[in-house]
Amino acid sequence: MTSLVRVLLSRLLTSFIVLIGVSMLIFFIARVIPGDPARIALGPNASPEQVLVLREALRLDESIIVQYGYFIADLARGDLGISLYTNRPVTTDIAQFLPATLELVFVAGLMMIFIGLPLGILAARYRGRWIDHTVRLISLLGVSAPSFVWAVILMMTFAFILPVFPIAGRISDSYTIPVASGFLFIDTLLAGNLRAFANAGWHIILPAFALALSGIGQAARLTRANMVETYDKPYIEMARSYGFPEKRIANRYAFRPSLIPSLTIIGLDFAAMLGNAFLVEAVFAWPGLSRYGVAVILRKDLNAIVGTVLIISAAFLIVNIIVDVLIAIINPRIRHSQRPK
Amino acid sequence: MTALVLEIINLNLSFARHGEQTAVLHDVCLSIARGERVALVGESGSGKSVTARIVLGLLGELASARITGEIRFEGQDLGALSPAGRHALRGTKMSMIFQDPTSSLNPAYTIGAQFHEVLRRGAPKISAKAAKERAGAMLAGISMDQPDRVLGSYPFQLSGGMNQRVMIAMALANTPSLLIADEPGTALDVTVQAQTLKLMRELVEDNGTAVLFITHNIGVVREFADRVYVLYRGRIVEKGATHAVLTDARHPYTRALLAAVPRLTGGGIADIGEETDVFAAPMFDHGPGAEARP
Repeated sequence: MTSLVRVLLSRLLTSFIVLIGVSMLIFFIARVIPGDPARIALGPNASPEQVLVLREALRLDESIIVQYGYFIADLARGDLGISLYTNRPVTTDIAQFLPATLELVFVAGLMMIFIGLPLGILAARYRGRWIDHTVRLISLLGVSAPSFVWAVILMMTFAFILPVFPIAGRISDSYTIPVASGFLFIDTLLAGNLRAFANAGWHIILPAFALALSGIGQAARLTRANMVETYDKPYIEMARSYGFPEKRIANRYAFRPSLIPSLTIIGLDFAAMLGNAFLVEAVFAWPGLSRYGVAVILRKDLNAIVGTVLIISAAFLIVNIIVDVLIAIINPRIRHSQRPK
Repeated sequence: MTALVLEIINLNLSFARHGEQTAVLHDVCLSIARGERVALVGESGSGKSVTARIVLGLLGELASARITGEIRFEGQDLGALSPAGRHALRGTKMSMIFQDPTSSLNPAYTIGAQFHEVLRRGAPKISAKAAKERAGAMLAGISMDQPDRVLGSYPFQLSGGMNQRVMIAMALANTPSLLIADEPGTALDVTVQAQTLKLMRELVEDNGTAVLFITHNIGVVREFADRVYVLYRGRIVEKGATHAVLTDARHPYTRALLAAVPRLTGGGIADIGEETDVFAAPMFDHGPGAEARP
């Protein structure tokens, strides 16, 4: 257990350093891009004096180092500044939009794990047979088209032609759920409204699936490839020679040693989905952070850009830490490694 | 006449490749009596391991393999059994020890978990606790200290010799009537190999388990086997009691094989050419011999 704690601590420390690096990078890049944020925010009809006042308020005329110092000082107080796009604190905006995206990405991640991995196991177990070919075709389709294409196709097919799923949004308008956490799945349960919970679940299936499809394909392909390799290992022959049930060989003895690369890829895909979510959110009118992020980038809303990027980076790092810890749990060699120091 | 545990009659194996049949085994006949230890000796590629896998039924899934001949296990024709029927024999009535113990144990599970799975073959409802006790007793019986620690370990935390003992304990856990040992311990040091072979010999004697011992190590054959079959290019070229074959080898290939054993006393390694014409001489049978167990 102590080695798990050590893995966790070292990852937390490196993640913190990465976050500082990211904050510098995005802070400087956002300011280097041409265009005056004050002018964009105030519009073409504002007077030069008004622009000057706003530049003053935003401290845009200070040197960039000094600006960064102010930013860090504010950040330490949990203040990311005011968004010029919404005129609200960036933290308020993020608190409003982030839960929708996290919910979407989380459900998509679950789909990757609980659809992608089993498909890979099945394909490896029945390799060369029709199940294998079907799984490989599905994963190829998933990987080869971007998620927004699948979003449109799925929406056309299952919401428009066959109206099985709702066409857009997070929940039907008929439900009014008091906002507590911003996560609909939590808020509906807090309100004790199971029908609303089911309705929110019904809404998330299509966008989450569109988002997850490429990840499902990758997870299935990678799991299959690694398991096919594992199937040639002596310990699988030994399991067969003892007559272990074929199903247990697939689900346990061949799967677990093959899981680590798949887990790494799922972690990376999970994080990539935070970015990919934008187009899916656009197609399904999903009120998430990705849409907000693009809106503020187009308006050169400096505080909001930096805030959004920082939050997404933090989410990326957290997912990576979780994956590292999971790998340490699954791989006894890492868990039991007794590195000095 | 003692009951035969295993009887292989005219076993032929060929693989279809590029539309051609490549023959691997030619009319192999072999029998093992109850409690008897029989060695199958031959060079790499002679067909030793593949014979073992056919007996276990591990080769049946290869679509390109064509197997003919008869294999009788405890009087029962294995060819007449359903796949499920053959599966039921594996790990219960017959078990196998592999060449490299460390890579033959699953790296992602503890020894205890894998032992539990093996014991479940004999007693499907066995609880984790009962399995642990039984496994611990088996390991203690094979002279392993701290069986509990071993059961809680992963294969990479144990030495090759310890893993080999674990493999032996697992192979005999369900008291099979036939144990197939495929070059056991070849990956180990000679001293460790000698220790584990001695242990294995004691255990199979206690349990009355018949052993098909696959090896290319003549020294091991001398110590371990009652009878020997020499396999060359898929054909049995000589058979008989161990002593008779090793002291009075008649077939040119057996002689070459014996001459090729490096000796501690020196004298160089024998110069063996590709004398396939001579090696194709007919099989020599020493008969049951004095040393064959009744």
